[in-house]
Amino acid sequence: MNVEFANFPFLTAILLSCVVGLLVILFIPDERKMLIKWVSLVFSGITLAIALYLFLAYDDQKGGLQFAEKLVWVKSLGISYFNGADGFNLPMLLLTGIVFVTGVLTMWEMENRVKEFFSLLFLLLSGVFGLFMSMDLFFIFVWYDVSLFPMYLLIAIWGSTRKEYGAMKLTLYLLAGSALVLPGILYLYANSGLHSFDIPSLMQPGTFTAAQQKFAFILLYLGFGILAGVWPFHTWSPVGHSAAPTSVSMVHAGVLMKLGAFGILRVALFLCPEGWQYWAQLMALLATCGIVYGTFVGLAQTDLKYVIGYSSVSHMGIVGLGLATVSVDGLNGAVFQMFAHGIMTALLFSSVGYIYDRTHSKMIPELGGLSKTMPVASGFFIFGAFAGIGIPCLANFWAEFLVFISALKVYPIEGVLAVCALVVSALFMLRAVQRTFFGERMKRFDQLHDMTFGLAIPRIILAAVIVIFGLFPSFMLNVVQTSVIPFIHGLP
Amino acid sequence: MNWILFIPELYFLLMALALFGLSVAGRPNPRRDYFASLFLSGVGVLVCLASVRLHGTIFFEAYRVDLFSQVFKSILSMALFLVICLCTELNGIEQRYHPEFFLFLTISTVGMMMLVSSVELLTIYVALEVSSYSLYILVPMRKGEGSQVEAGIKYLMVGASASAVMLFGLSYIFGVTHTTYVAEIIKVLPELMTSPAAVVGLLLVLCGFFFKLAVFPFHFWAPDVYQGAANQVAAYIATASKVAAIAIIVRVVSLSGGGSLYLVHVLVILSIASMTVGNLVAIMQKDLKRLLAYSAISHAGYVLIGILSMSDAGYSGAIFYAAAYMLMSLSCFLVVVKVAHDGSNLEISQLAGLHRRSPILALVLMLSIFSLAGIPPTIGFTGKFLVFAAAVAKGYVVLVIIAMLNVTISLYYYLLVIKAAYLTEPEGELPGLRVSLPTKILSGTLVTAMVVLGVYPTQLLKVALAAARALM
Repeated sequence: MNVEFANFPFLTAILLSCVVGLLVILFIPDERKMLIKWVSLVFSGITLAIALYLFLAYDDQKGGLQFAEKLVWVKSLGISYFNGADGFNLPMLLLTGIVFVTGVLTMWEMENRVKEFFSLLFLLLSGVFGLFMSMDLFFIFVWYDVSLFPMYLLIAIWGSTRKEYGAMKLTLYLLAGSALVLPGILYLYANSGLHSFDIPSLMQPGTFTAAQQKFAFILLYLGFGILAGVWPFHTWSPVGHSAAPTSVSMVHAGVLMKLGAFGILRVALFLCPEGWQYWAQLMALLATCGIVYGTFVGLAQTDLKYVIGYSSVSHMGIVGLGLATVSVDGLNGAVFQMFAHGIMTALLFSSVGYIYDRTHSKMIPELGGLSKTMPVASGFFIFGAFAGIGIPCLANFWAEFLVFISALKVYPIEGVLAVCALVVSALFMLRAVQRTFFGERMKRFDQLHDMTFGLAIPRIILAAVIVIFGLFPSFMLNVVQTSVIPFIHGLP
Repeated sequence: MNWILFIPELYFLLMALALFGLSVAGRPNPRRDYFASLFLSGVGVLVCLASVRLHGTIFFEAYRVDLFSQVFKSILSMALFLVICLCTELNGIEQRYHPEFFLFLTISTVGMMMLVSSVELLTIYVALEVSSYSLYILVPMRKGEGSQVEAGIKYLMVGASASAVMLFGLSYIFGVTHTTYVAEIIKVLPELMTSPAAVVGLLLVLCGFFFKLAVFPFHFWAPDVYQGAANQVAAYIATASKVAAIAIIVRVVSLSGGGSLYLVHVLVILSIASMTVGNLVAIMQKDLKRLLAYSAISHAGYVLIGILSMSDAGYSGAIFYAAAYMLMSLSCFLVVVKVAHDGSNLEISQLAGLHRRSPILALVLMLSIFSLAGIPPTIGFTGKFLVFAAAVAKGYVVLVIIAMLNVTISLYYYLLVIKAAYLTEPEGELPGLRVSLPTKILSGTLVTAMVVLGVYPTQLLKVALAAARALM
């Protein structure tokens, strides 16, 4: 992998704006709630601006790792602070920036313990950004845990439905994931003989024997897989998502689950390509189980957030299936799906959050006919649901399409099952939409107001992103494939 | 004989003498006692730091001063200083006993300092007993209606049995090697490690130290003693005593030269048992000090992982872990002492609403708990990372997976503490906790140290590595 160092540390600037934002918020008195929100918006806006700039400025002709920065951290252990941007993580950084800004805007009406909420949100997001940009195994693990530990408080303090249970379950599951990741990383570190945690130097062919790769791969796959919601380790995800407050659900389902999938890609696939090919069958099987299972369990849900939660399990299964195909299209689709699903699911949670704040209910039977009282808020949800079921010309369509054509080639049985499940998932999303937004108008919701323009902004941004990348998928694919093609061709 | 080498111990002996003077001098004056001990122990830290580069042997080679021992002496003196910092309101102990309280803390520290430098079996034994007997007195010194005496007796009984077992082990080692000098033993013992007598001897000796570290199955005293002793005494036992135990276990295990599989197997089993028992029992605890006692048992298991790797990396990891554990455990006790300022025990449920009563103490509690749970960017994570990395390098992947699963279990009860402090609302409205400026400074320093050393461990790691090399 050719590495091109940056003349300005853009990636560190993203991290710094999170950290500085956090510190600034800590020094604002509790009562200045609006000021805290504006500060959060400004600093999250900076991260988005930098991420967008990097996405546009990345040179697809050259490819490789660009905007890299490296600093020796602990010499005696071979740890370095090493960041870089390539076709895999640029979409993720952009996604994180978008979800961050829209998440802050979604919480604009919040009143309870505002300062603590936004400082924890910034801590969470610095972990997320850090993991996406890091090229050093040690730091990847550190950022993974940093992004994990604010979650407990965020859900348990500001959440709803069974929040303490959901928060505890989520935290313990994810920490159990890291319990497999850390030995995996240390195993690779110990066996490379290079005394380094640096990914580009560890991924040189021949560093690890096939047996070592098979062993380390399964540890890393299962460990990161828990965070990615791989079936059967997904059970934390619907519970956690429905317990979390709106913007945390957005960040969680939109970004954090991608950390898991991205970890599989960046660590397990990069360092253990032979292990990957060996275990690909299992990955495909688990992914298909996830797709089918998420769809059918989703059918039975009556809580809107659970509906979205199970659709996330199923959509993350599509990412897993794409990774399991070991092909250019599959990987392109998987990365694109991570991005598209992140935006789509953030839009869904954001809309449900608005509805829940007004009606104090997210149970489908208690709602109904909402499109008449809140046409705009309902419209966003319906749009998100359409994106999720893969309506053409929306971003998710291309991602799912790419994954399915490559999956049908490599794993015909799983591919067919997954496509069938997709049809059923369309049914369940449409059913949820129909029962919640159409049908009998509820008298008790008559006095509720629809979304104002200010509150609609974050949803508009999210919907616009889905449309833009749906109409011009090449924006995304050009960047992604600069990394995917050399990676697949370089496989042993 | 070069007395310079003995300066840290001499200094603390003089400090003990001064405190003895205070204890016989007339009417009780708690403020005077507190400031005198605070000042003297503060200077003691500087003395230890100044003598860190000394090396040589004294007392007919029974006493070795090297980087390893001096680093541990510095950590111990800091632990003493920090514990004394917590004694501003020493309400758990009657005023007239305050000078004695500080006196025994100091003598115990002297014993531990001698322990980390001893390289002769009988000196080790004597140093160990000096440090232990002061603690046996400190535990029942608390005001109360009897539970403290029960704890004291339990501590004494278990401790005396452990000492007896250890002496028995010493006799075995003496029997097979015909010497009590560690330097001589190192030369002979690795070859003898195939003979059962040597292995049994070494293990029996280790029992005495495992008792101090509260490794399963020598842990029974810990919860009762933590609960029965005054909060400051518990803080001292939880920090300094553990640090000294880690030091001496590292020293003794390094004797074996890494050649014995029996020893490794026993350590692996003890380590797994210790973490698992400690973590599982901690889940059920209602009293914060008992919870910390069980968490200490599990931490003993993590430290053993570093030690049983028997490599530079493993020993330096254990040394790093000792320093880290001292910091994070002490931060927890800071919260215990300040929240239970009348000197009583602290139930976890009494932490309710702490985030409003005192945001700074809640923050200290959260960070130290996350550090104990091994979550970055705190020093506890770095410590765990180092010992686990050393173990994986030796091929103990399964052990590390078991340890990480234990870390996951431990997070459950740690989160319950955080939940109590941040989520649970107290039943009645509790008054805010007044936190004095020195306490704020101390909290700030501890928090900064935990985070900075966690994020940027290079310097401390260098020291730990050099200390581990001095061992060989």
